[in-house]
Amino acid sequence: MLANKSTSASGREKAALVLAAGVATLGTGAAGLLAGGSAAQAATSSVVPLVVYSAQGYDSTETTAFQKATGIPVELDDNSTGPLLTKIEAERDNPKWGLLWVDGATAFALLDQQHLLMRGFEPDVSWNALGKSAVPADHSYVPTGVTMAGTLVYDSKTLSDPPASWAALLNKKWYGEVGMNDPAVSGPTYPFVAGMMQHLGGVPAGEKYFEALAKNGLHVYLTNGDTLAALEAGIIKVALVQSSAGIGAGLKTHGAIKTKFLDPVTALLSAIGIDAKAPKAEQLEAEKFVQFVLSPAGQKLMKSGDPTGDSLYWPVVKGVNALPALLVRTGRVHQPLHLGLSGGRGQHLVHRQHRRVSSH
Amino acid sequence: MEEALPVGLAGPKSAGPAGVTRLRVAMAATARRYGGSLLVWAVLAVLVALPVGAFLLQGFTPRLFGQGSSWFTLSPVGQAFQGQAFIALWNSIWVSFAVCALDLVVGGAVAWLSMRTDVPGRRIWPGLMWGLLLVPSYLIAEGWQYLLEPKGVTYQLGMYSPFLYHTFFSPVGVVFVLALVNAPFCYLTMSAALGGLGSQFEEAVRVHGGGRLATVRVVVPVLAPAVLSSMAIVFAETMSDYGVSSTLAFQSHFQMATYGIFEAINNLPANFGVAGVLSILLLASAAVPLAVQARVTRGRSYAVLSGRTRTAGRYRLARPAKLLLGAMAASFFLLALGAPAFGAFLGSFVQNLGAPDGPQRFTLGAYREVLSGSIAYGHSVQEGASGLLGPVIFSTELSAITAVATAVIGLAVARLLVARRPGRFTKAGDFLLLGSVALPGIVLGAGYIFAFNLPVASRLGIDLYEKVPLLVMGYLATSLPTQSRIMVGQVAQVHGSLLEAARVHGAGAFSAWRSAYVPVVSRVLVLAWLVTFTKTFFELPISELLYPPGHETVSVAINNWLSNYHYDIGTAMTVVALLANFAVIALVLGAFRLFAPAGWRRMGGWQAVG
Repeated sequence: MLANKSTSASGREKAALVLAAGVATLGTGAAGLLAGGSAAQAATSSVVPLVVYSAQGYDSTETTAFQKATGIPVELDDNSTGPLLTKIEAERDNPKWGLLWVDGATAFALLDQQHLLMRGFEPDVSWNALGKSAVPADHSYVPTGVTMAGTLVYDSKTLSDPPASWAALLNKKWYGEVGMNDPAVSGPTYPFVAGMMQHLGGVPAGEKYFEALAKNGLHVYLTNGDTLAALEAGIIKVALVQSSAGIGAGLKTHGAIKTKFLDPVTALLSAIGIDAKAPKAEQLEAEKFVQFVLSPAGQKLMKSGDPTGDSLYWPVVKGVNALPALLVRTGRVHQPLHLGLSGGRGQHLVHRQHRRVSSH
Repeated sequence: MEEALPVGLAGPKSAGPAGVTRLRVAMAATARRYGGSLLVWAVLAVLVALPVGAFLLQGFTPRLFGQGSSWFTLSPVGQAFQGQAFIALWNSIWVSFAVCALDLVVGGAVAWLSMRTDVPGRRIWPGLMWGLLLVPSYLIAEGWQYLLEPKGVTYQLGMYSPFLYHTFFSPVGVVFVLALVNAPFCYLTMSAALGGLGSQFEEAVRVHGGGRLATVRVVVPVLAPAVLSSMAIVFAETMSDYGVSSTLAFQSHFQMATYGIFEAINNLPANFGVAGVLSILLLASAAVPLAVQARVTRGRSYAVLSGRTRTAGRYRLARPAKLLLGAMAASFFLLALGAPAFGAFLGSFVQNLGAPDGPQRFTLGAYREVLSGSIAYGHSVQEGASGLLGPVIFSTELSAITAVATAVIGLAVARLLVARRPGRFTKAGDFLLLGSVALPGIVLGAGYIFAFNLPVASRLGIDLYEKVPLLVMGYLATSLPTQSRIMVGQVAQVHGSLLEAARVHGAGAFSAWRSAYVPVVSRVLVLAWLVTFTKTFFELPISELLYPPGHETVSVAINNWLSNYHYDIGTAMTVVALLANFAVIALVLGAFRLFAPAGWRRMGGWQAVG
């Protein structure tokens, strides 16, 4: 497999030289592509390529190290959560993925409801308290870390008194100053909206809250990056985004951008789910991958792979500490998301809610 | 096939050997006459009709592709209209008409000025139009946003205007940006037609004593195929735009049809049924410009490019007119390219881009990281052959292959489309092609998964999904409809007498085609190649869904950087990719100038090619 990969690479390098020389690349290029395409077929029957669908910033570091350590070839589809879930849904009849690694237990709960996830796998690790609370009863997915959904992010140089509670965001003082992501598009925002509904005591109360927020001039953007860009451009003063995005922005701005946790804040799980319909050999490889990610070596890679983004997570296994930027924040009160609300009927209601939010 | 026929037909003695021979001759004649066009339509059916159809069927038969339990349902139709589907569709339609009207004026004027007058700066305009074609629509929207927003560039310069800011974040801004983005389609189609027109029509009017008005009345109808073709393509491209509808329009609370589709697909779980119903409406909207086109051009010939076509002369403008018109064209390019250039290009040199209070200074750090491949953050860019070059070379190869196939098949399609009396087949094909332009890329991408990832195919060992050939097929499906429409304007002008003259002089069929037809369409072929190359290079929605794992395309890699908040590396990579793209364009144009005979470069086509 590795040999084949290098053949493919050298084919492309050759193509680069040919291009540089100003000659048409088609022949060489096609040869390189064909070499790439045949790589998968060259694998022996016992070792099949493990196809990883992931949206994590550290996924490449992790898969490269895993391939090196085990010799199992990994094909990484590195994408945003949206396209990955679209692919999984569209290929439901004939799935090509081996494991999925994204944020948001809601996504996994929905895939589990559709019987798309392998159940019953328990990795051999010692969970810490956070990890224990995050493991689902049917073991349909495995938690790998926790961030927080819908934290309050602001620029401390232009704003000294950010809102102190969820109710305060409805104050006229914040009219037109608050922005969040579209829950129908942004993976981490979906659990945030569901969590707010849970906190407020149900879907009707949640809808009422978001309607009031929309009436107070709420801005809605696509993803964390877009909402943070609006904050940095001065269009909004308060951004409700995922903690890793906010704290990462704080690191990049030498502390100017600050992240505040309103009470309660909803825990957002990053997790791995294994394809229920994948070949047995691939499922076993996926289990090995999960074990690798949760090992001390794998956790070290998760913390170094994307230090101003996804690496800013709270670990779920014993003996692993979060990055220093997070240490001051451990012990904060957060609410776990009860998936009974956010999955199934709940997700439909969240979507309906979204329509109300974005139509204002 | 021909070997098999006699076996089945030789049985009844009454038919006899003569009957069989007659049948064989008739079949051979039919194959000669229709075989080519059947082949072209078959290719389009596989590339476009099959995946689009598979997606649209989701609206009624979810069980067909394992998306639900019912074989037939109308519930997605009800769901689609619960929301704001009609409003979004209406918004998309009126915006598309407004953009068409604006672009006909702007693109047509720039094309006429650059082809037929001696206005200053005309030599660089085609290049700038190219530049504009390269820039994704969301980048232009974001560039303007960067200029006008409360802490933006105008604010830094003490020129911030809330009025301009709020006007931009409204339907006015949406029409403005989309008109800028789509102007090149109008320009390219119109300039190709103007180039082929020559000046004999104007001279003929003058000889007969006609004034300027009479000249316009003669020349404009001759340009009808190009005008209508550009209208159709601008309309469909605007309908299908996602870059602006998901950024500027969305933030202005102005819903457009493509965003509704995107939202339905991205829903948890994906609601392909609603997306299918919305797509049918979007596809149907393409009927509007096609109906106009059919009404105007029915049964007429627009062939003006014959052996007697002469090169057009240029109008000499008076000095004030020169300056005024030159300044107007220059300001168009400033509006269209100045803003995004400011946003994207300058941004890539700024450390802590987007961090308002961090220490911002100019640096080449992001470029060093991108080019060396020693990026500190784990990402699959590192896995490329050598840092960034992996995705860039991969995308270059795919784009080159797609562009060659598009130029060849697109020309064949364009020839079928300009038939003076199109059959039902051709009309349906035309509708399908333009309709598919109006669909956003995500629909094609998902349709490709439905149509080409069937369990039965896998059981037969045909696994195309997440392999390179299917990705190229997806690219072809996005480029062919647009490019064949652009070529229509030029192909409609080629007079049949050119080929006949060559045959009269003793040339064989192939030789006549090569010596009399290819030279006339060579420039438009080069144009199609270049447009396809560029568009494919930066194509995102299909790449995201169909790229082979482990082999990121440039667009996927850039998108991953930007979505992980690494703006500096993302923008630096964008600039490097743009430079690589420009290098290929320069290479192709240079080769055409060096190797193509001088006559090829004079006949028809687009001014700047060669």
